[in-house]
Amino acid sequence: MAVLEEIGQTGEAASPARFARGVLLPLGFAVLVILTWQILCEWLRVPPILLPPPSAVWAVLRDNYGILLQQALPTATETIVSFAVASLLGVALAVALTFSAWIREAFYPNLVMFQLIPKIALAPLFIVWLGVGEKTATVVAVFIAFFPVVVSSATGLVSAKPEVLQLCRSLAASEWQVFHMVRFPYAMPFIFAGMKVGVTMAMIGVVVGEFITVQKGLGYIILFAAGAGETATVLAAIVLLCGIGLALYGAVELAERVVRHRYGGAMPVGGVI
Amino acid sequence: MSAGAAARCIEASGVSKIYRRGTAAAVEAVSSVSFAVPHGQFVAILGPSGCGKSTLLMMVGGLEPVSAGSILVDGAPMTGPRTSIGIMFQDPTLLPWKSALDNVLFPIRVLKRPIAEYRETARRLLERVGLEGFEHKRPHELSGGMRQRVAICRTLVYEPDLMLMDEPFSALDAISRDEMNELLLDLWQQYRKTALFVTHSIREAVLLADRVLVMTKRPATIVEDLAIPFARPRAISIGESREFNEICAHLRERIEEGHDRPRSRRAGTEPLS
Amino acid sequence: MSVDSAAASAVAAPAGAGALGPRLRGSRPVLLPLAAAAAMLLGWQVADILLHVPSLVLPTPVEIGGELWRALPTLLAQALPTTRDTLMAFAAASVLGVGLAVVITYSPLLRDMLYPNLVFFQLVPKVALAPLFVIWLGIGSPSRVVFAGFVSFFPVVISAAVGLEGTDPAALRLCRSLTASEWRSFVLVRFPFALPAIFSGMKVAMTMAVIGVIIGEFISSQAGLGFYILNAGSRLDTPDVFAALVVLCALGVALYGAVALAERGVRRVYGRH
Repeated sequence: MAVLEEIGQTGEAASPARFARGVLLPLGFAVLVILTWQILCEWLRVPPILLPPPSAVWAVLRDNYGILLQQALPTATETIVSFAVASLLGVALAVALTFSAWIREAFYPNLVMFQLIPKIALAPLFIVWLGVGEKTATVVAVFIAFFPVVVSSATGLVSAKPEVLQLCRSLAASEWQVFHMVRFPYAMPFIFAGMKVGVTMAMIGVVVGEFITVQKGLGYIILFAAGAGETATVLAAIVLLCGIGLALYGAVELAERVVRHRYGGAMPVGGVI
Repeated sequence: MSAGAAARCIEASGVSKIYRRGTAAAVEAVSSVSFAVPHGQFVAILGPSGCGKSTLLMMVGGLEPVSAGSILVDGAPMTGPRTSIGIMFQDPTLLPWKSALDNVLFPIRVLKRPIAEYRETARRLLERVGLEGFEHKRPHELSGGMRQRVAICRTLVYEPDLMLMDEPFSALDAISRDEMNELLLDLWQQYRKTALFVTHSIREAVLLADRVLVMTKRPATIVEDLAIPFARPRAISIGESREFNEICAHLRERIEEGHDRPRSRRAGTEPLS
Repeated sequence: MSVDSAAASAVAAPAGAGALGPRLRGSRPVLLPLAAAAAMLLGWQVADILLHVPSLVLPTPVEIGGELWRALPTLLAQALPTTRDTLMAFAAASVLGVGLAVVITYSPLLRDMLYPNLVFFQLVPKVALAPLFVIWLGIGSPSRVVFAGFVSFFPVVISAAVGLEGTDPAALRLCRSLTASEWRSFVLVRFPFALPAIFSGMKVAMTMAVIGVIIGEFISSQAGLGFYILNAGSRLDTPDVFAALVVLCALGVALYGAVALAERGVRRVYGRH
């Protein structure tokens, strides 16, 4: 311990070497992979239907960005809407669960059960219920993004330290005060952890929904282009999807930082592994 | 190994440790320390936290390389850890999934010695430190003092010639700490191993050691080498004698002096027997 | 990496202590959720009958039960390829994931190079790549196995890498002080310490593998539960869809349970060693 303390005193300097290792190295590796891919495709004359070179993907992105962006718009909208709805519903249900131990105990294990089953398989049912269209993809996405949010939030809302809750009781704090001054801040990291899973799940839900139902969107483009053997278009659509996915994840991450900042940096770490 | 070297178990001369981190200024955690420990002596290194005493101990144990100077143990320079040296850390560092007995046998497993031959030794050691009946308990079922007892047994089981102890009892409450000191006196009486014991407790140092080396923070070096005159076997009750308290007062003075000691007065203050 | 948060925390979620007798309290965490599930099914049944919901839209639980009973032989036959593909994908993802995690644990260069890219892949919607696997490997079972393996590989490698990295440094220092070889400290300390993290990665991987196989069956297959569900959906045979979903959910929970059971077993064995 003492040795560590002594080392700690020297402090961590943010040096250019660290930047190079932490950012440039992984980026460099990614670039290397893409270059190798390009060179191998040209050398081995891989048929473009099997694996087009990155340059072909880039060409598709450059030449057809209008159509691609037009298709990316519904996908992005559906994802954002479904994520927002799933987050609101999830947190709301989790809050409802915290106010009664009975209700929590009755429902929580069932929610966890839903967490474990492959909900994506229910997608065809939503077609039966809602028909073929954007709405279906959105609802499928809400349905699968909802569970991680509610399970994680419910865990977080009961994770406040018992000592703090005792302190509140000794101060005769009302249930509402305890909730918004103690329970909610303590649950914040868990809620965000659930939302981060939720946002990736919403994306998956929308894509799968578009695979099986919709007549537009990037998922549709991917499946259509794959059927037509236009692999470069598939990859171009995937690049856009990845962009949307990362941007949304980044937005959640950013929101978490802002909230963390407001509650002070020393917020407990949530259930993220 | 020459005859002269064999008489001394540890010989440290001009040992320094400098930490460099990135572009930050270098920190001298240990600066030019020299001392020697003959076989069979119990030596305490006493100093305030952050004075580099733990770093010094880790260098003697071969866990940290020296930046300058040399450390000989049994006449051979330290280049890395050795099995003839047993180290006790501040934290008992028990493996949580192993029983007390298996934790004691851990070094035997690491060193690939025949476990069966040592099982009896381990059991007797646990009995010796008062853990009879706790052999099959996991660490989480033991108190802090009991865990540290297991750690003592773990260090003794593979019969090292030199014991290095890094504030092993500093995390314990006062009563357990007294008990552990008594136990250690008792064990030392039986095993008579050469021991280097790092502590920031003056009374602990005087009670346990044949010799106390005082280290200060700036400079991080030894400023006092004091022989402790009490005869062995010692009882914990010597702590109430006047002589004991006078020695403690003297050592406290030396430590406090060291706090604002100007760097220029360091020369010539390194006492060597 | 956060995908697991919900599932992992769900397992550890404490049940609130109620004011029940000790005998009842023991079975309450089991009975209460079961009762809630039964109540929901009953409500569904009653509402369905009272509101005259056509079975095309939402069949009653009794209808679904009847359909399940009637179609059970077919459904079990369809479950066979799904189970086989899932298990193969899971096994490959686990072995490769843990393997890569071990490699990047021991090579800081590779870790810095690969880890951010692995996290990137964890965040993007990999399901969008499903059609590509069909192009590469055809519409047979290999394409689904590889796709599901690809999807479930990332949670394992990230979780295992975090676990292996997060080994108690004090325990590793203890190994070093005992002159343990890298391999010895890996087997005795690092790996056991990482087991909980590895298993939580594997639990996520199992659910992802089921999802991967189902999506694969949605878009390409002529057999399997995913195919059956999509087929029944397009026939507008909603009771049949539900019956297949019941089997699929049971399969998903059973496979997850198998991993959870294996986790217990391995941890117990590791404890006895």
